[in-house]
Amino acid sequence: MSKKIVIEPVTRVEGHGKVTILLDDTGNVDQARFHVTQVRGFEKFCEGRPFWEMPLITARICGICPVSHHLASAKAGDAILGVQLTPTAQKLRRLIHMAQLVQSHALHFFHLASPDLLFGMDADPAKRNVMGLIAELPEAAKKGVKTRAFGQKIIEKMGDKRVHPNAAIPGGMNRALSPETRDAILSEVDEAIANCQFAVELFKDYCVKNPDVVNTFADFASAYLGLVDQNGNVEYYDGKLRLKDGKGYVLEDDIPPESYLSIIEEKVEDWSYLKFPYYKKLGYPRGMYRVGPLGRLNVADGCTTPLANEEFANFKKLNEGGMVQASLYFHYARLIEMLNCAEEIKRLAEDDHICDTDIWVDSDRINEEGIGVIEAPRGTLFHHYWVDRTGKMRRANLIVATGNNNLAMNRAVSEVAREFIKDGNVTEGILNRVEVAIRCYDPCLSCSSHALGHMPLEVAIIDSDGQVRRVLRS
Amino acid sequence: MRTLILGIGNTILGDDALGAHVSRELSSRIVDEDIDVRDVSFDGLNLLELFVGYDKLVVIDAIMTENGEVGTIYRLKPEKVCDPSRSAISPHHFNLATTIEIAKRLFPDEMPEEVTLYAVGIREVTQVTEEMTDKVEQAIPEVVKLVLEEVGAA
Repeated sequence: MSKKIVIEPVTRVEGHGKVTILLDDTGNVDQARFHVTQVRGFEKFCEGRPFWEMPLITARICGICPVSHHLASAKAGDAILGVQLTPTAQKLRRLIHMAQLVQSHALHFFHLASPDLLFGMDADPAKRNVMGLIAELPEAAKKGVKTRAFGQKIIEKMGDKRVHPNAAIPGGMNRALSPETRDAILSEVDEAIANCQFAVELFKDYCVKNPDVVNTFADFASAYLGLVDQNGNVEYYDGKLRLKDGKGYVLEDDIPPESYLSIIEEKVEDWSYLKFPYYKKLGYPRGMYRVGPLGRLNVADGCTTPLANEEFANFKKLNEGGMVQASLYFHYARLIEMLNCAEEIKRLAEDDHICDTDIWVDSDRINEEGIGVIEAPRGTLFHHYWVDRTGKMRRANLIVATGNNNLAMNRAVSEVAREFIKDGNVTEGILNRVEVAIRCYDPCLSCSSHALGHMPLEVAIIDSDGQVRRVLRS
Repeated sequence: MRTLILGIGNTILGDDALGAHVSRELSSRIVDEDIDVRDVSFDGLNLLELFVGYDKLVVIDAIMTENGEVGTIYRLKPEKVCDPSRSAISPHHFNLATTIEIAKRLFPDEMPEEVTLYAVGIREVTQVTEEMTDKVEQAIPEVVKLVLEEVGAA
């Protein structure tokens, strides 16, 4: 059958971020809903597949942070096998994980967030983007590209040259680190660290120039969740869960990740495919908590590396040791983490045993349940698997970072909307600010991979009688 | 002349897999050391470094359009499809034109002169499955043929 070939340009590509703002009788904001596109049927898809294939399958869920899913899945597999990894395998998993964090944070800050900060929220969208950044600050853009590429190259070298990595397996890693790759990392790591410091300074400069914006934009109290190590430092790969409330009071501490269900429950809302996790003891929706860079830094007592720890101290000073809650500080926290991870990469690459070959342990056990938890770039990621006696998947439950932040993102959008919609009047600039608020959380919006199209953000404002009053599109 | 054929698609996301299947078919048919065939299941800025060093780039992807029909084959120039200056709210949202534009400005002498895109209309990419719909699957041999002609390997 011969197909019609169309040559004329396509003007619009479907698929977009969608926000609904619901007004009350007086024309003021009742609530805001950020609709996250979510793939469906993943759990069903996994049923009957051997658990050791899961690290490869789950890496395909996301084209942006595949390593995080890959590792969380491998960790769930370790638990099913009931094994302790060798120190070398632990280090290699950390190394590729740190590389993912640097890659993802660099991409987000330089290419998505920095134009908002450098040009201001009211700047013309035609300028307030990465093209504007390249035109005005080409050096910053180049540093961004280089930093992202530094992380990306490590992932490719360790993960069989694919973006969807094939590096970790239940029980360890499937290849050792070659001395050549280690040397390549060491030859570039100092520049990467310097670029991270450059980005931190860029953000601090913005804070000095725009104190009011940064301290008040989408500022609200919430609880925070993240992993910490045995010294209370920010931890990305292992560690225990800690949850603090908006005043800095420790609600939960030292929770083994596999006990996450003792503190977290998920709520389903009929208007969203993405579930809403919340802190059990406070109930829904009061149990809202935030994860990701801001969550991790707010729950921790320090960072593991000297330069990042110095910056962490500055971060803590922002609110005299209390919680830092304004959404734009997500960017600051993200950059401190990027620096932390680049320093960690150096420490790992300098380890005398990083190229050792004892990278896998065998097991003849198959436990019926396994839980893997990791701090992905966007926040805490849970993989929970149930298998039969032969290791075939019976069930899977995943809580992704964007899910953990689901309640908070709606809250952030509500905060912005309340400022810009009063007594039925919508002030110009709301669309840009909703965009900026959402960007702070760096949500994962779609797991399909598409090169084409501008995906606009659509904000619909709905009256109390259900009538659409206005639709704004970016 | 160095050519890169790049299929974009996620093989566990139904019709999104199109680009991956086309490029896998092409890599078994093309024996020319000046032509590289790759398939990737990521998008946006992650593609940046892949383009560098080639004279010609052919991208194969699935496309969703407002009134388009499933299975329709498009031959497009990326700069006409999307506006490179639009901002994005997620790293998933960088379009091909933006990515190419960034790469051109950052590596002006190393970017392909000629970029062509083959796309096939699809409707849905939220269901996790390895099955494709018939109309999209049937388009694969035709796209393979067109790309072979495009790169002079027919």
